[in-house]
Amino acid sequence: MFKEDQYFGEFGGRYVPEALSSALDELDCAYRRLKDDKNFNNELECELNNYVGRPSPLYFADNLTRSSGGSKIYLKLESHNHTGAHKINNAVGQALVARELGKKVLIAETGAGQHGLATATVAARFGMGCKVFMGEVDMRRQYPNVYLMRLLGADVIPVPHGTRTLKDAINATLKYWIENIEDSHYLLGSALGPHPYPAMVRDFQSVIGREVRAQMTEREGRLPDTLVACVGGGSNALGLFHPFMDQDNIRMVGVEAGGRGDGPGEHATRIAVSQPKQGIVHGYLSYFLQDENGQLLPTHSVSAGLDYAGIGPEHAWLYKEGRTEYVSVRDDEAVKAYKILARSEGIIPALESSHAVAFALKEAPKHHDDHIMVVNISGRGDKDIFITAALTDKDNWKNFLKKEAVDE
Amino acid sequence: MSELGIASGKLSLMTHVVAGYPDPERSFELAVTMAESGSDMIEVQIPFSDPLADGPVIMKANQVALDAGMTPVKAFEMVRELRLSTGKPVFVMTYANIPYAIGLKRFFSMALEADVNGLIVPDLPFDSSLQEYFDLTAEHDMNNIYVVSPDMEPDRLRDAVVSSSGFVYTTLRVGITGADRGNISGKGLEFVRTVKRYTTLPVAAGFGISSPEQFISLEGIADIGVIGSKLIKIYDTGGTEEVGEFVKKCVSDHM
Ligand SMILES: Cc1ncc(COP(=O)(O)O)c(C=O)c1O
Repeated sequence: MFKEDQYFGEFGGRYVPEALSSALDELDCAYRRLKDDKNFNNELECELNNYVGRPSPLYFADNLTRSSGGSKIYLKLESHNHTGAHKINNAVGQALVARELGKKVLIAETGAGQHGLATATVAARFGMGCKVFMGEVDMRRQYPNVYLMRLLGADVIPVPHGTRTLKDAINATLKYWIENIEDSHYLLGSALGPHPYPAMVRDFQSVIGREVRAQMTEREGRLPDTLVACVGGGSNALGLFHPFMDQDNIRMVGVEAGGRGDGPGEHATRIAVSQPKQGIVHGYLSYFLQDENGQLLPTHSVSAGLDYAGIGPEHAWLYKEGRTEYVSVRDDEAVKAYKILARSEGIIPALESSHAVAFALKEAPKHHDDHIMVVNISGRGDKDIFITAALTDKDNWKNFLKKEAVDE
Repeated sequence: MSELGIASGKLSLMTHVVAGYPDPERSFELAVTMAESGSDMIEVQIPFSDPLADGPVIMKANQVALDAGMTPVKAFEMVRELRLSTGKPVFVMTYANIPYAIGLKRFFSMALEADVNGLIVPDLPFDSSLQEYFDLTAEHDMNNIYVVSPDMEPDRLRDAVVSSSGFVYTTLRVGITGADRGNISGKGLEFVRTVKRYTTLPVAAGFGISSPEQFISLEGIADIGVIGSKLIKIYDTGGTEEVGEFVKKCVSDHM
């Protein structure tokens, strides 16, 4: 009786309480209709061009290419988007769907605050209410984004349960949605959750790969050889990879957060571990970091956006099919890559994206200069200043914060 | 209905406990007290780190139970003890990742060993692709109880009700578990009546029942009333004894 189109092989599905079934059906139906609707797509394109600032540049990193001495490195600069990350592509798309459904309030989970910020932004843009659920731990470490979301008019609701991070924010948002289905739309921020979210979010992010395809063809007269992107839930990676799926010879590498070690709670590597473990959490079947009894494990990453115990179901399927590969990059390697990109190209990447950069720096020297690699810079690094400054310029930063606090 | 030992034509009470809350010993004592005070059946929840259908009270209880070392193995041991010492039907409620992670076959063999009367997994819909689970329920003649919600599309509701065995679990509102959320709505009661028209199985009603009066008001409408969060709240302030008093009040007032 199961509906195959809700799955990627055995992964995905809609493992939720029945209270959500009609809202998910309604969303699925609306999205199916809109995705091929000319007016909808025209409006989406108009918003992406004029509000988000697309297309984003595909930048040839010549300094980095020269210093690493191997493959040509191109950077897809999603960091140039309004609000500073790829998250806004999906937020705009879903806001338009929500408006079509007659919803008045956008609700969202957020970890780092990037997706919450994107949601608060489109809510302001389209005149909708906005509630963002955020774990108490994340609120503390990402306060600048909390401030910005509130400035944009969003109600930021602290989540005091569980590990008080992203996974608990997802639970809280799903529960709020169950109780407020009539007027609210859950604007989920990554390619995960119950159907139709993984496919819908991937579609809205696929503008990244479509642009790369066109830009690369224009610049190099051919398609790239390797695509690299960091993978939290998996949306920026799928957005880059998906439009190239018809090209069997293109290598696609997802970079997971290796944190500070291999032990439980020290990282957020779901697939690139010795024995990835399948589970059913947050409405979908995929790989999850969990103990032997199926309880989710806490995770750690220097980048809040990768600090999540699950991975989108399409990644799980692509991995099992052998189509994509996954590697893990540690906190310190990511921070090092963050500094290298800043110094060599004048581009400050988000800590999430720095994981992808770190892999590219290791990989590029293994190839010749006829090899083309595209690295997705999913976001810009300003948002991480409270983390990176504390790591790379500790004393000055602490002094500054102290002075600011005293001057009050 | 006779299979579960539920008297027909009378409102039965199912009380909920989270296995391991506040610790393994006391949750067992609490369940025994419920049974001895007149609860007709017990719903034992195997705790999960991310319980999607539960409000703050039961969610917190899940976390406390996990911190106290509760595991699926220990929860099934508790169920077995309960079955032996009370003789009352015991239903195991949990989330899909528990059976999935420990292995479906192993989960079912533990359930059979514990002599469980049925399974309730609210995030495992009848049309999901986990066919092995459904095959195992059929193979072992295990009751598989679906939780249905008032906002479901009529076709889907009918399919879910027809797929259910043992009884059907209706929620009185579109929502998550939680106590003291006001009166039971007319819509909620109407929903129970609708579900009764779709099935000859007993129909349970829960989510929000917070007083003996509310429980009793289900008489003639539902076959089973389920009380969960409220009992945890009572336990937190008044301990096992007050839970027993509350249960007695529910069952004596409508006899
Ligand atoms: C800049 C940036 N990159 C990547 C991610 C990870 O998400 P995803 O894997 O869905 O792209 C986030 C999430 O917050 C982010 O802010």
